[in-house]
Amino acid sequence: MTDLNGKLSDNGIEVASLLEQQLISKQVDVPLLPDVASRVLSLSSDPDSDAAQLAKLIQSDQALAGHVMRIANSAAYTPNASMVSLQQAIARLGMNLITEIALAASVNAKLFKAPGFESRIAEIWSHALCTALWGKEISRASKKNVEASFLCGLLHSIGRPAILQGLAELEIKHEATLGQDEARLLEDHYHVAFGEAIVERWGMPVIVQQSVKYYLNYQESETNSEQATVIHAASKVAEQMLWPKDGEDLTSLKEDSVFADLNLYADEIDMLFEKEDVVKAGLEAMRV
Amino acid sequence: MRQFDVIVIGSGPAGQKAAVQAAKAGKTVALVERDQLLGGACVHRGTIPSKTLRENALRVKKMRENAALCSFELAEDIEMSTLIDRLNLVLKAHDGFMVNQIERNKIERVHGRAKFLSAHELEITKVKGEAEVIKGDSFVIASGSIPRHPDNVPVDHEHVFDSDSILSMLYLPTSLTVLGGGVIASEYASIFQALGVKVTMIDRYPLPLGFMDGDLTEKFVHAFQEMGGTWMGGKNVVDVKWDGLSQVITTCDDGTVVRSSKLLCAAGRTANVGDLAIEKAGVSLNDSGNISVDEMLQTKAPHIYAAGDVIGPPSLASASMEQGRRASCNALGIEVGPMSKMIPSGIYGIPELSAVGLTEQQASKVFGKVLVGKANFEEISRGQISGINDGMLKIICDADGQKILGVQIVGEGATELIHIGQMAMLADSPVDIFVESIFNFPTLAEAYRVAALAIIGQRSLNADKY
Repeated sequence: MTDLNGKLSDNGIEVASLLEQQLISKQVDVPLLPDVASRVLSLSSDPDSDAAQLAKLIQSDQALAGHVMRIANSAAYTPNASMVSLQQAIARLGMNLITEIALAASVNAKLFKAPGFESRIAEIWSHALCTALWGKEISRASKKNVEASFLCGLLHSIGRPAILQGLAELEIKHEATLGQDEARLLEDHYHVAFGEAIVERWGMPVIVQQSVKYYLNYQESETNSEQATVIHAASKVAEQMLWPKDGEDLTSLKEDSVFADLNLYADEIDMLFEKEDVVKAGLEAMRV
Repeated sequence: MRQFDVIVIGSGPAGQKAAVQAAKAGKTVALVERDQLLGGACVHRGTIPSKTLRENALRVKKMRENAALCSFELAEDIEMSTLIDRLNLVLKAHDGFMVNQIERNKIERVHGRAKFLSAHELEITKVKGEAEVIKGDSFVIASGSIPRHPDNVPVDHEHVFDSDSILSMLYLPTSLTVLGGGVIASEYASIFQALGVKVTMIDRYPLPLGFMDGDLTEKFVHAFQEMGGTWMGGKNVVDVKWDGLSQVITTCDDGTVVRSSKLLCAAGRTANVGDLAIEKAGVSLNDSGNISVDEMLQTKAPHIYAAGDVIGPPSLASASMEQGRRASCNALGIEVGPMSKMIPSGIYGIPELSAVGLTEQQASKVFGKVLVGKANFEEISRGQISGINDGMLKIICDADGQKILGVQIVGEGATELIHIGQMAMLADSPVDIFVESIFNFPTLAEAYRVAALAIIGQRSLNADKY
């Protein structure tokens, strides 16, 4: 919490302390969206639905996708397995089982209740999905693993909505109201640790855990620095695409050192940014 | 503007040797490499990584074959990183060795992409965009090769891979279609099949590895099929597409449809000269898309030499190293002997294949009648002990059964074993040397003796001597 000293109100310090306790006791929970759960339900009762629709639906939701992958990766379904994509999970386990997993997960989990943070959570998910899609394109451009990049990108900021839910709960419980700016400070400060705790508890593959843990400081990753570097770059490109700084387009990122670390040359970066329409189309499609 | 006596473009086997040779001759040398690490595709995407994977595939195969000795089952979704677990150590050691050698020889390492501006000027674009122009008296182009992508194969490095990206897969797929029947296709197809992936190999020719004799490649195909692989020869692929969910669908011109989790396109490699603007230096490509050189490895521009994959076959790391060294020597006027024409080829499939000299088919064309002796490994004590099936050594001799024209081997250890035959050929020894020499027993070298005896037995004059 040292970095936050002087930046938080008394209420903020108290909430931060409680968040740290959650981390220490690993009491971090990620609920599912009821909207997606109901769509999974309607899909499962539609005889004309297919596996592609199911994958698309599940991928539209960061929390649900993570939950399905956690269960698909569990010993009960695939001993010794580490599946990294929904396609792989559906192909291996079948559509019905994945539907059941998605439904079971949605029925048993709490829903996000973060009054006051709804729009921010929507922003976070939009950015996560965008990061996942850019992650794939950046991996493709640098010939690194493409398939894992989607999941790594989708979950890289999973700690953020979890924190916001925690904040909302703590605000109610302790009657400690925080402003959006202060909430953002806490979110920025704790999301990596929360995300790390979540993906670890979910038993995600090491590459996902490492991406979540190191995407901000990819140089520190010893085992999966390439993937963490890709997600770092993807997160930046996604942010610039969704919320352009000073109205500039993606080319303003060309000088960023992360592209040099990926050994992407100027023309290769230009070619990469030409995928913007592809990513936008994917974003729209996966929003459902 | 920085100026160098010799500028070498590319740090693969050819470039590395060219740079070191020039530096040892006391020249100022720049070594330009577009990747962050030295070594080229050979070190980072090809030869070394695939051979590291092969070692573990062999271990897995052995453990499966010896299931009675140990209870063994490969985890269903084992990570590729586990299977190439020693790769980082191997690469680190290699990189350390190379960096040390480059520094020791005071070679200037330049990280960037090269482009000729004129006959003697090279623009280096750094990864962050800034450019520098350097000048050289002589050049060695050793920029290697890149995978060829046919128009009907949409390589996306996610579901449809090429030989540079195949090892970026995170997990072993359940099934893999391999397009092609060359060295890379045969190596990866057999390696992944040995690891338990259901592999289907598709090629337009009836047998893979067409530059070797059919009886050897038949053994290879048999071994591949014994492991559970499917060989589909004589088929032309007309369409490849990802179904958007879980499978790559490959369609052949005869209507055959193959579905698999992933696909590897190994349809050959082409010279990596796209960014070089070689025409500005007076260098051009031939009809095969490679840089044309003469026997001195000199291009049309007298001060520019080329070596390695960029000049086309044999495209072997072993030959590239020697070409690189010679290119520098020739550029600097250092006298070298004639380049050995006898270059062994090694295919690191499971099983291995290796050849030196002429095939039976080639020898027959040149010499008419030839005598051939074969030894099957299962008939050799060492082969029986080690359980090596599908192994064969074949010696091709002239019509008198004296002069060795070629040796071909399929079976584990082939790439090492071939050197015995190569040495005999280099020494111009008659085939009798394999009978009159004493080898360790039991070893696979005995196969030379058996094959040689088969040839000697065919000599009409000495038919009763042995």
